[in-house]
Amino acid sequence: MGEYLYVSPDHASAAEAFLRNRPEAEVSMEFEIGEKDFVNAGKGSAEVKNTLKRLGIDPNILRRVAVASYEAEINVAAHSSGGRMNSFIYDDLVYIRFADCGPGIADIEQAMVPGWSTADDLVREMGFGAGLGLPNIKKNADLLRINSQAGGNTLLELIIFYA
Amino acid sequence: MSAPEKEYYHALQIVSDNCTGCTACVRVCPTEAIRIREGKAQIDTTRCVDCGNCITICKFHAILPKSDPLEIIRNFKYRVAILSSSYAGQFTEDITYPVAKQALLGLGFDEVAEEAFVTEFMINLIRDYIRQHKEIRPILSSNCPAVVRLIQVKYPSLLPNVLHQEAPMSILTRYIREKIQEEKGLADKDIGIFLIVPCVAHVTAVHQPEGAYKHLQDGAFSIGMIYGRIREKLRKNNIGKQPEIDTYEQGLTWALSGVEAEMVDCEDIRALSVNGTENVLEILSKVEDHYLDQYDYIVLRSCTNGCVGGCLNVENPFVAMSRIKKIIKGAKPKKIDASELKALYKDGEFAVAPLEARSIMELDQDIKQAIQKMKKLNEILVMLPGLNCSACGSPSCYALAEDIVNGRASIDDCVVLLKRHQKEED
Repeated sequence: MGEYLYVSPDHASAAEAFLRNRPEAEVSMEFEIGEKDFVNAGKGSAEVKNTLKRLGIDPNILRRVAVASYEAEINVAAHSSGGRMNSFIYDDLVYIRFADCGPGIADIEQAMVPGWSTADDLVREMGFGAGLGLPNIKKNADLLRINSQAGGNTLLELIIFYA
Repeated sequence: MSAPEKEYYHALQIVSDNCTGCTACVRVCPTEAIRIREGKAQIDTTRCVDCGNCITICKFHAILPKSDPLEIIRNFKYRVAILSSSYAGQFTEDITYPVAKQALLGLGFDEVAEEAFVTEFMINLIRDYIRQHKEIRPILSSNCPAVVRLIQVKYPSLLPNVLHQEAPMSILTRYIREKIQEEKGLADKDIGIFLIVPCVAHVTAVHQPEGAYKHLQDGAFSIGMIYGRIREKLRKNNIGKQPEIDTYEQGLTWALSGVEAEMVDCEDIRALSVNGTENVLEILSKVEDHYLDQYDYIVLRSCTNGCVGGCLNVENPFVAMSRIKKIIKGAKPKKIDASELKALYKDGEFAVAPLEARSIMELDQDIKQAIQKMKKLNEILVMLPGLNCSACGSPSCYALAEDIVNGRASIDDCVVLLKRHQKEED
């Protein structure tokens, strides 16, 4: 089982405390992501973005959430046989989980290298698969955790703090 | 954050006597600014961006555009009309563009200028601005006042991306005002400069410009109103002998959003053109996601095909576009001396103040309160039927839930729930 963890130094203790306690969220959303469904992929992250706008989140934070969640959502559509996006909104952070039904990431460290991609022709024809998805998520998230293995499911979790 | 007590000018009015409460306007408003309350449409003036969609959709003449009465030109000694490029597409082909333009002198104007005159200069200005702001991508066009206001209301994170320069008709106003003061020796107050505009957003922009540093225009007239007067005069052959005027056909491209983008596009600048409210909303959302960073410039116009689609025009936007393209094709290139305009641009005379957000989408200023309201909103939402029928007077079930949370509606407003309850009681 491969695990990848990135935590920004500024939020390391807060992020780890959050994952340990996992408080119940007042606002949460669930979204199904279909395999190769590029028509609907992106709607889940758009919904999160619109909710955060109504909560008055700082525009720059909002854009980071938008980019990270959009990339992760597209990843599930492009590379897995479908999955689910669950978003949990708190008064200081947003926590989003992407759980898919496989086939897993063989080498996570390799997948984190910008420009490296396993995308098939269909995905590339749609304009995706440039190998920037995971690096882009990392760039915009305060915490990124990926659990995966070849042939199994992938769980991607990300946290972004509002301040 | 903008002061909540600020009063916004809007170039439209509701005629309640005509309103049937049909909810057509409620559903086309991009900022969900309209509600039907007590059977009549009401507009939230802090949310309205003057796109004009409600005016176009209303079958009952219950939402009417506002523009200035032509008579106000009499308050000035010297009167100048500045024509929006879409004007050229309104007239049937038996009336040539120079005649349609010249005829304006017969309505009491001393001088007629056209937006098209500055198009070439604008293209160069835009290119220069894009090259000087390499750290911001994409740059978003600022010509459409409805789009600027839409960004202020719904996409405040994109305000730094907006081209912070005056729109062409305002640039022309600055230039003409100075020129007339010099050449005719007239005082500023004696010169009246008026825009002849294709949409209500431009009327609003004249009365309440965003970011403008200086006094610009003295009024805005609807193309439709002017068109009527001119046709009447032409029919009676009543225009009188008017002096010839120069026309700048090639600049008419400004009325068409696609052509503006094509003109800005060059070796080092990639431009995209978008028009129509739904498309503009989708593209702005994608820009927010950094999904369109590969573009250097995006032309955004709220109306179909650009300004030819404005609600104050008389002709269909596609017919008007075709006519304008025909005029441009038949035109000979003209040399325009833009040296004075360039000098003004170099001095920063066309720059506008940083645009401010109109943050009105939040449920509450306090995040903890906002989350509580969002939780309540979601609880209400699952009770609502999810038909988005608008019969309650709010645009969707989500908007009704939001209105309930904000104390502006009650769950009893839902007609579908009411009917279900009645059945249960029977």
